[in-house]
Amino acid sequence: MPLLSFCGILLFTGRPDRGGAFSIFNIAVSFVSSLILFFSIWNQDPLHQQVDWFTIGNTTFRVGILLNNLSVMMMLLVSLIATLVHIYSTRYMKGDSYLFRYWAYLGLFCFSMFGLVIADNLLLIYMFWELVGFSSYLLIGFWFTRESAVRANKKAFIMNRLGDLGFLTGIMILFTQFQTLDITELFAPNGLVAQTILSGDYWTFGTQQMPAIWLTLAGLAFFFGATAKSAQFPLHTWLPDAMEGPTSVSSLIHAATMVAAGVFLLGRIYPLFDETVLFVIASIGAFTAFMAATIALTQNDIKRILAYSTISQLGFMMLAMGVGGFNSGLFHLVTHAFFKCLLFLAAGAVIHEMHHLKDHKGLDFDHQDIRNMGGLKKYMPITFITMTLASLALIGIPFTSGYLSKDAILIQAFDWAEGKGGLVRLIPYSALLTSWLTAFYISRLIFKVFFGELRVPGYNTAAVSLHEAPAAMKNVLVILALFCLFPFFSLDPLNYDSAWLMEGMKSSPRAEHTASIFHTLIPIVVNVIALLVISLAYFWYVRREKAPDFSGNPLYRFSEGQWFFDKLYFRTFVGGTTSLARSSFLFDKRIVDGLVNLLGKVGLVLSVISHWVDRYIVDGLVNGAGLLAKAIGNFSRNFQSGRLQYYLVWMLLVVLTFFMIKYFSLAI
Amino acid sequence: MIPLSHFMLVSAALFCIGLYAVLSKRNAIMVLIGIEFMLNAAILNFVAFSRHDKFAASGQVFALFAIVLAAAAVAVALAIILNVYKYYKTIDPTEIDQLGD
Repeated sequence: MPLLSFCGILLFTGRPDRGGAFSIFNIAVSFVSSLILFFSIWNQDPLHQQVDWFTIGNTTFRVGILLNNLSVMMMLLVSLIATLVHIYSTRYMKGDSYLFRYWAYLGLFCFSMFGLVIADNLLLIYMFWELVGFSSYLLIGFWFTRESAVRANKKAFIMNRLGDLGFLTGIMILFTQFQTLDITELFAPNGLVAQTILSGDYWTFGTQQMPAIWLTLAGLAFFFGATAKSAQFPLHTWLPDAMEGPTSVSSLIHAATMVAAGVFLLGRIYPLFDETVLFVIASIGAFTAFMAATIALTQNDIKRILAYSTISQLGFMMLAMGVGGFNSGLFHLVTHAFFKCLLFLAAGAVIHEMHHLKDHKGLDFDHQDIRNMGGLKKYMPITFITMTLASLALIGIPFTSGYLSKDAILIQAFDWAEGKGGLVRLIPYSALLTSWLTAFYISRLIFKVFFGELRVPGYNTAAVSLHEAPAAMKNVLVILALFCLFPFFSLDPLNYDSAWLMEGMKSSPRAEHTASIFHTLIPIVVNVIALLVISLAYFWYVRREKAPDFSGNPLYRFSEGQWFFDKLYFRTFVGGTTSLARSSFLFDKRIVDGLVNLLGKVGLVLSVISHWVDRYIVDGLVNGAGLLAKAIGNFSRNFQSGRLQYYLVWMLLVVLTFFMIKYFSLAI
Repeated sequence: MIPLSHFMLVSAALFCIGLYAVLSKRNAIMVLIGIEFMLNAAILNFVAFSRHDKFAASGQVFALFAIVLAAAAVAVALAIILNVYKYYKTIDPTEIDQLGD
């Protein structure tokens, strides 16, 4: 039964659908079947079915599906969010001239995501991983007539390829060591990875032996793959640019699926990581979270703020993975998927309305710039309420889902760092700081967009024609908002330990758990300061009292310039590549072309020489032979004049000659 | 008694005159006459050498044979010349340079 419904999902979502209704139907079927699967698999034995794929040498690759708690959870999440986004898109994308293409890409994207989630073989995961990257490339560049969209999708694709390189390296290292890529065999509690012995400098498995550094390298390679997909430092720059795609796509990519793929991958291969790799993951996660949050503070594009917020939250998930909070990381992945999807879709609704306003009144302003918005609370109350709920979840206010997962991460980070000294302690503190920054930037967004007065330049606010989003979009927002509340995840709103997702994910081997003072202290500290920060933002942006002007501050510019990563990359990599290309162009032109031209000239000279030889020597020989024959012919023609007397004269001469020879030879 | 060398000289002179006539004359009859000269030079030699023949007058017999053959040859040649004339309307041997078909 599960297998059957799987085939259904694969077939349906994989087909390039032409109509929105058809693709919504398909994704809804996928959703329902994932729901059934979820309830049949959750907390039961994992389902694992395989078929032979191909054989190289004496190694047979087997592919199949692997369903455990992790993958059914991801499937449910992906299909639910994808369904909602599909419904939302019917209105949001209405009237676009390439709509059928949009549905087809969306179908492909969902298909590859499902494939990624259920695949049981690292090679298969890699293939779906590439497919996800490719379909996101198509979606980001959906409005391909825009120059910036084309550049953004190219960037996303290249960044993802870099990460894929890491993934592939990891696969190769693992294959060399274990001769298999089957996830169950590798990472089960008594699987091959668990059987390896790390003694001294060597990483031993059976008779295979490798230097221990390879284990670390493999872990780092996989992590590098995940950084690209999940937009972690240093490969994060593609994600903000990916906002060039349609907003519903951004929502789908960012919230639910693509970026979560990186975290999901880490979850799948979690037993592989050793201490060093986990530490790297934790520090990169913390750094990314902090960096993205500071950038989000000063951005003005509504989607860009959310994009950096996504990066920051993904950093949190990575941090959780790194500190051993396998379950809380995935828990945060789920809760984040809902509230970030909601934030994006609500922002999409706002952008939609602002765009209408712009078209309607013939005004020219940036409809994504929050400086031009304001006072939308009056016109779009549902959007306002749902978005506020999502923001509260993002901040981690009690009674929301975000509170449960975020505090779980923070507490585990503190637990983890407690036993260690020095700089390691910076990691949880920076995470703490990041969560306050989060509170500030998201409340800045809310206050600027929904409070105060409409700030569209040159527009008379009296004749406002803004209204609530269409019903299809509105309902989706409401459904998502419900998922931001605690009861869906835990009956006890204040204690994350009772969340059923946390229980389901406990299978992680390294989830250690110690009750400590942090459990009570951290939520209080986080929330009190977050509330203070929110009220600060309220005073600055709503009351407009004492709102300081930071625009001259170098830190402000640093943040607004997005830490200048783009410029740095442009200078170093793009510039480097360009100059390399230029020098190789010169090399081509001077040396290679020179050689070719030289060769050509030599050929020319040779041909001139051979022409001369041909003409004068070969032709001369041929003509000479001809001429000789002609001359001989002419000469002998004289004998054949047909005149009798000439013949007689010749006869006489010949006879005389013979006579003379005879005579003189006798005389001698 | 006339010595043999005188006969030889006369016969050589006759042969040369005949040869000259054969090679240079523009008339086939004259060429024929030249041939007769050369034949007669040879016959003269036969007769002259026969005087020194100790056994029989075989030279003179040879000369008689040659005279008879020459007469026959002249008759044949005259007939050819007549036919040539009928065909080419000329008996100049320099102009008769094509074989008939």
